[in-house]
Amino acid sequence: MSPVVESSSDEAPLGPLTSLPMIQLIVSPSNALVDEPVSIRATGLPPLQIVTIKATLKDEKENLFQSRAFYKSNEAGEVDLERAAALGGDYVGVHSMGLFWSLKPKRPFQRLMKKEVMNSPFCITLDLYDSVCLQDSATTRPKASQIVQRWFVGPGVQRKQIREGRIRGALFLPPGEGPFPGIIDLFGIIGGLIEFRASLLASHGFAVLALAYFAYEDLPDKLLETDLEYFEEAADFLLAHPKIQQPGIGVISVCKGAEIGLAMACYLKQVVATVCINGPNAIVGFPLRYRDLVVPPSQWILEHIQVHASGAVQLRPFIDDPMNRLTPQSILPVEKARGWILFIVGENDECLDSKAYAQGAMNQLQSHGRSNGRMLAYPGAGHLIEPPYSPCCFASWTSDSANPLLWGGDSIAHAAAQEHSWREIQKFFRQHLSASRSKL
Amino acid sequence: FGEDLPEELLEVTTANMAKLIATPHSALVDEPVHIQVTGLAPFQVVCLQASLKDEKGNLFGSKAYYKASETGEVDLERDPSLGGDYTGVHPMGLFWSMKPEKMLSRLAKRDVNIPYQVHIELSKPHFPIKGIVVSPPMDSLTLERWYVAPGVTRIPVKEGRLRGALFLPPGEGPFPGIVDLFGSTGGLIEFRASLLASHGFAALALAYWGYDDLPSHLEKVDLEYFEEGAEFLLRHPKVLGPGVGVVSVCKGAEIGLSMAINLKQIKATVLINGPNFVTTDPHVYRGQVNHPVPCNIEFTLTNAFGLAEFYRTYEETADKDSKYCFPIEKAQGHFLFVVGEDDKNLNSKVHAHQATAQLMKSGKKNWTLLSYPGAGHLIEPPYSPLCSASRIPFVIPSIYWGGEAVQHAAAQEHAWKEIQKFLREHLLPDVSSQL
Repeated sequence: MSPVVESSSDEAPLGPLTSLPMIQLIVSPSNALVDEPVSIRATGLPPLQIVTIKATLKDEKENLFQSRAFYKSNEAGEVDLERAAALGGDYVGVHSMGLFWSLKPKRPFQRLMKKEVMNSPFCITLDLYDSVCLQDSATTRPKASQIVQRWFVGPGVQRKQIREGRIRGALFLPPGEGPFPGIIDLFGIIGGLIEFRASLLASHGFAVLALAYFAYEDLPDKLLETDLEYFEEAADFLLAHPKIQQPGIGVISVCKGAEIGLAMACYLKQVVATVCINGPNAIVGFPLRYRDLVVPPSQWILEHIQVHASGAVQLRPFIDDPMNRLTPQSILPVEKARGWILFIVGENDECLDSKAYAQGAMNQLQSHGRSNGRMLAYPGAGHLIEPPYSPCCFASWTSDSANPLLWGGDSIAHAAAQEHSWREIQKFFRQHLSASRSKL
Repeated sequence: FGEDLPEELLEVTTANMAKLIATPHSALVDEPVHIQVTGLAPFQVVCLQASLKDEKGNLFGSKAYYKASETGEVDLERDPSLGGDYTGVHPMGLFWSMKPEKMLSRLAKRDVNIPYQVHIELSKPHFPIKGIVVSPPMDSLTLERWYVAPGVTRIPVKEGRLRGALFLPPGEGPFPGIVDLFGSTGGLIEFRASLLASHGFAALALAYWGYDDLPSHLEKVDLEYFEEGAEFLLRHPKVLGPGVGVVSVCKGAEIGLSMAINLKQIKATVLINGPNFVTTDPHVYRGQVNHPVPCNIEFTLTNAFGLAEFYRTYEETADKDSKYCFPIEKAQGHFLFVVGEDDKNLNSKVHAHQATAQLMKSGKKNWTLLSYPGAGHLIEPPYSPLCSASRIPFVIPSIYWGGEAVQHAAAQEHAWKEIQKFLREHLLPDVSSQL
């Protein structure tokens, strides 16, 4: 409805237009875990008005991330993101969490990643403009704004810094007596200690050790070989903890971490459930050592590296069957794994041909008559499959590379993959780590 | 003979044997270069890199990895690149796959009288890791890439309202005349006109805003200004009449199409990725005003890097209903439509098909449509690097133009030949028209 303003030169002008409803942006919950959905509604708008909803976030280093979408209000002057389709902007269609997972860095190739998880959330400002705002302008102010807090840790979760023997990491325990199913969380070639996934899993009832293995504290600066005994120490440490369930632990791992996770599944009897996200089924780049065993690596083939239009480097080689390029002795003996394995694969992974590798492992299991493996392949998803609503990071800088690396992923498909896989991962761990789990 | 030589001499011999050959060293930018390597070990993998610095000091570079033959040779006309900025057999790949060091930079030559110096280097491959010690190149050379052929003259144009530069081929002429129009960057862009002059055309690079004392913003398209440009050309003693051609891209093509319909002087018009309707500023001609078509800016998309794609914004208006479009059937001359199917700035394929459908409906056969899969918005002379994203004045955010490098390069090569053929066919008197 349009405001009715009546005035003539003889009468005093009308007071506040009480017939005009206030434009509001209703966001709920305003304070929640990052993997919980948020309902966003705009009300009080003129009917059939094109509006802009913008999300802004500053990370811990003050780097700016933004997203926006254009919607048309309905006859009642409302936009409900759970029902309305975005007409344009960072995504198109009905995506109630689209503003979150389409956040993009102002400076290209930056990746959004929470470092400190216990004491502070990510704060996202949602702004509503009653016109199409392609870009920020000093003169256009939002008609309504809300701030949402997105936490990586739930109430009562405890964090303990771990420096036991060689092990370096952080242990996250859910509230309560326990015992809880134990999980080791491994990230990839970025090194250091990354805690946000471990803290989130702890918020869902798991005891999780975020384990660093290089470029952290007194660990080696560079990864020159994988010493599986280090990871065995970590597994034993977890199992020895009074709040952790017996007799076995899980592993959640991505990229290089997933190479190690798969090796743990093959060789360590302590590991009974392993999630491998976008990792190879062979030892690549550097050798793996475990007691007397040395697994030689398959080599990266430098000349197959390609450069994407953006200048980011695409490590995934475009060759017909990457399995053929693996040195046979470097392929991990998955048939030896006693526990359960879940392969999570992004089919648009530009860093590795993850699907080919996971399929190779599944074929190997099958040819040995094993049925303890399962693969979830997501068309359109890229390399960095993270908890739901994380922005799809298409390419970013890493500490070692001179160029940004291409991870890939079509944002809508990637977002759906993150939502689905996160539920499946928790289901998988609950099923195979519970006290009365099914025997193989 | 290796075993008989003393060791020190052997090492020296091996180190000096790798040789990089490229011919010609000095040529027009649209002429191919033959690059070869000799003196390598059998099946040795090497890295070839090309680099240049533009007039603003921005660095552009490319690299490709090749495997030598059994006889230690690499020939880019025969051998496939295994990786890097392109793969497969592409003799000019090092040129068109160059990327800017500073994102969103576009390679566009300003002073056409000075060539680009392109540096080619042969080296051992190394991983793109920070701090890695890189061995010095095995060999290198520098090529000159020119935008003018010897004997081409450049004449600054400042007559009446006209602002631009006229390029004349060497010799007495007369030569077929072309008005060359660029798009939304404004200013005076000369490199295509200078190249056309190097191929026998009298080409007027015509600025229309953001240059000299022309308006700083384009507020309207005054077709009489462009008519003055055509008349200026036709008056010149070295320009062949009775009509002239137009080569135009993007907004320039919007104007080119309007010129072809309204101005009888226009005999042949090349329209590269242009709209067939009025976009942002009204067209005026002798009192008649043609107003901009409404657009839905909310249909703008943002790609993975936050770059804007505008091609959907006329979906509800011009794309759907030809009542919004130019009456192209009224034009007397011939048309060559050049379309990049991966254009993300304008819905070029739809616009060109709509225009040609209108012509067909009127029984006219005065057109050719060249549609290139995988080519983007900025279709330029051959071997120009694909610019898939850059900034233009007064528009934020930065724009994604589209295009996939290999297909875009092929489109540029093919289109350039076709454009020259088309212009000769319709502007030279002794070529019989088939239409």
